[in-house]
Amino acid sequence: MQSLQQLQLLQNPTEAANSQSELEAPPKQVAQAMERLNQAARVIADIRLGADRVFEALFLTSHPRTSTTDTSLQLLLKEDASMRQHLHDLRSIGKKLEESGVLTESLRSRSNSWGLHMPLVCPDGAVVAYAWKRQLAGQAGASAVDRTRLALKAFTDQKRRFFPHIDDGVKMESRSKKHRASHSVLEHGGGEPFDCKTLPDIQSRLEKLVPNVKVSTYGRLSWLKRANSLPGSGSDDDPPEASKLVFQSSSKLRSGLEAEVADKVAVIELYVPSVFRAVVSLNPAGSVDPDSVAFFSPDEGGSYLHSRGFSAHHVYKHITEHASTVLQYFLGFGTGTALYSLLLWICSFESLFSKPCSKCGRLLAMDKKSALILPPLHRAYQELPLAANLDVCEAYHGGCSPDDS
Amino acid sequence: MPVKWVLYWQPNQGSTVSTQILNEAAQCAESINGVKEGRWKATLNYYKPMLRDQSNHPDLPRDFLGISLADQPSKYYFIIRSQRIVVEADATIQLIMEKLQSYKSKVSLYFDGFQYQLGDFRLRVGRVVPVHSESIRGIVMEVEYLPISSMEKARKVMEEFVEIWHEALSKRSLSGKFVNSELNFGEFGLADTYTPQHTGVQYAIVMAHMIATVQPVVRG
Repeated sequence: MQSLQQLQLLQNPTEAANSQSELEAPPKQVAQAMERLNQAARVIADIRLGADRVFEALFLTSHPRTSTTDTSLQLLLKEDASMRQHLHDLRSIGKKLEESGVLTESLRSRSNSWGLHMPLVCPDGAVVAYAWKRQLAGQAGASAVDRTRLALKAFTDQKRRFFPHIDDGVKMESRSKKHRASHSVLEHGGGEPFDCKTLPDIQSRLEKLVPNVKVSTYGRLSWLKRANSLPGSGSDDDPPEASKLVFQSSSKLRSGLEAEVADKVAVIELYVPSVFRAVVSLNPAGSVDPDSVAFFSPDEGGSYLHSRGFSAHHVYKHITEHASTVLQYFLGFGTGTALYSLLLWICSFESLFSKPCSKCGRLLAMDKKSALILPPLHRAYQELPLAANLDVCEAYHGGCSPDDS
Repeated sequence: MPVKWVLYWQPNQGSTVSTQILNEAAQCAESINGVKEGRWKATLNYYKPMLRDQSNHPDLPRDFLGISLADQPSKYYFIIRSQRIVVEADATIQLIMEKLQSYKSKVSLYFDGFQYQLGDFRLRVGRVVPVHSESIRGIVMEVEYLPISSMEKARKVMEEFVEIWHEALSKRSLSGKFVNSELNFGEFGLADTYTPQHTGVQYAIVMAHMIATVQPVVRG
C-alpha cells in the first residue's frame, strides 16, 4: 500500500512527535489504524478459538467417561479467564479505533490534507480503504437491492405455493394507492358494488356478462383426469381408460392428502367452443388467488393441459405469455380482485378469430419478432375491471400494441 | 381436425399452366417465412360404370370419384358430386372395387408437391398430373389453419391469409391466380367441424372446375 511506503519515508521525522494525539501526520494515523485493525482481527480470532474450546469443555462434561468432571471444570475456568482477557483487549482496541475515526467518519475531511484516507469499518463489518469508496460500492449495491427484492418475491411466491400452511406474514408491495382504491370496489352498469371475493359470486357474474363462455371449476386431481380425457389427447381409442390409469396411479401417491384437497377448487377452466380453452390455477386451493394461466386450442387434450403448460400452437403460446404479464399486473394491486379481473380479461378472447386489430384494422398480421402470421393477441387490460362489457376491450397485434410488451 | 381450404390455379385467358407457377408459389411461401417440410401426395380416380348397354341406365352417376388423401393414408373417400354424397371407407375397398369390376377407374390423377409450415398455417402446393404422364393438368393449393376446427370461426382467418398470399404472389406477376371454390358443405350433409370428408368434397369441386377451364398442355 502506498500509505505504508510514505509512512516509512516520514517515519523518522515524525517519530520524535510520537504521541496518540490528533496532531500526528496522516500517514502515521493511517498506519496506526491499520495496525490496530490487524490487532483487532487477531483478538477476534483468539475469541473464536476460545469459544471453540469452551464448547469442547462443555462437550466433555456431557460425556463423563472420557474425562473426569474435575478436568472439565478446570478447562472451563481457564477458558473463561482467557476469553475475558481477549474481550477486554478487543474493547480497548475498539476505543482507540473509535478515537482515530476508523469506526466513524469523523476524521474524513481531515484526512484529505495529504490525499490519504482513513480506512473505514462499515456497520456491516466490511473494511474499506476510504469512506467514499463505500458510496461507489453503494450505487452498485442499489441494483443488488433490487435483485434481492426480486429474489425475495420469488421466494415468497414459491413458499406460498409449496408451504401454504406456514403463516406468511410478508405483505406484497402494491403499485399505487390510487389504483388500489379503484380496484377494491367494482361497479357494473347500474352502479351497484359487487363483491368478487368468492368463487360462486365470480362465476355467476361471468355467466351474466359473457354467456358464451363456459366456466367450470375442478380440484387438481379431477382436472388431471379431465385433461387426459379430452379429445386430442392422443389416446383416441379409449380415453376413459387413460384417465382411469392416471387416477389410479395418482391416488396411490396421494392417498393421504386426497381427502383433504379433494373438495377444494384449484383449477378454473374457461371454454369457448371452437375458439379456446383457458386454464387458471388457484393457489392455495380453495382461495381466489390465481397464480398462473395458460391458453390452449379447443381441440387439444392431454396431461400437458395445465396452467403452467404450453399449447402446441403458436397463437395460444403467445397469448399465454401475454397473459402472465397481465396476471402480474392484476396481482400487483393486492386488492384480491385479481381473479375476477383475470377471468374477465380471458373472456375478451372470445373474439380472438373475429375482432380485427384496433390499430391496423386487419385480423392477421406478420409478427416481426416471431416471423409468424398471427391474429391480434393483445387485449387491453388496464381499464378492465370497471368496464360494463367487454366490447371496450380493444384488440391489438403484438407490434401494434400501444404498450409495447 | 384443422380447417382446410383447397384452392386451384386459374390461369388467365390464353395462358397455360406450367411447373414455373409451382416454383413461384414455393418461393412465395418462403418469402412469408414458410419452412419447407417435405413432399405430399394424393391420388384421385374417376370411375365409370362397366355396363354392356349404357343407354338402359341413363341415371347412373357419371361423376363418381374416389380419392385418397395425404392426411389419411388408411382411408379412401368416395364422392358423387351431382348427388351430394360423400362417404369414408377403408383404403382396402379399392381391392374390392378391382375384384367387382362394376366400376372401373378410367382416369387416374396424382397430386404431388411440397408442404410448408408458416407458424400455425400449413400450406401445400402441388401439381395435378395424370398417371403415366408428365403433363401438368393444373395446380392445387391446400391451406390449413391448425389451431381450430370450426369452419365458421376460421373463415375470417382463412380469408385474410388468402389475401396475404395473393398479395405476396402478385409481386411475381404470374398470369393467373389461386381461386377458392365456394361451396355449401351442408348440402353434402357435412357439419361445421372440419373432417376429411370436407377435403374430399373440396377436391371433387376443384377437379370439376379444373376440367372445365384448363386445357391439357405442355410437358413438365
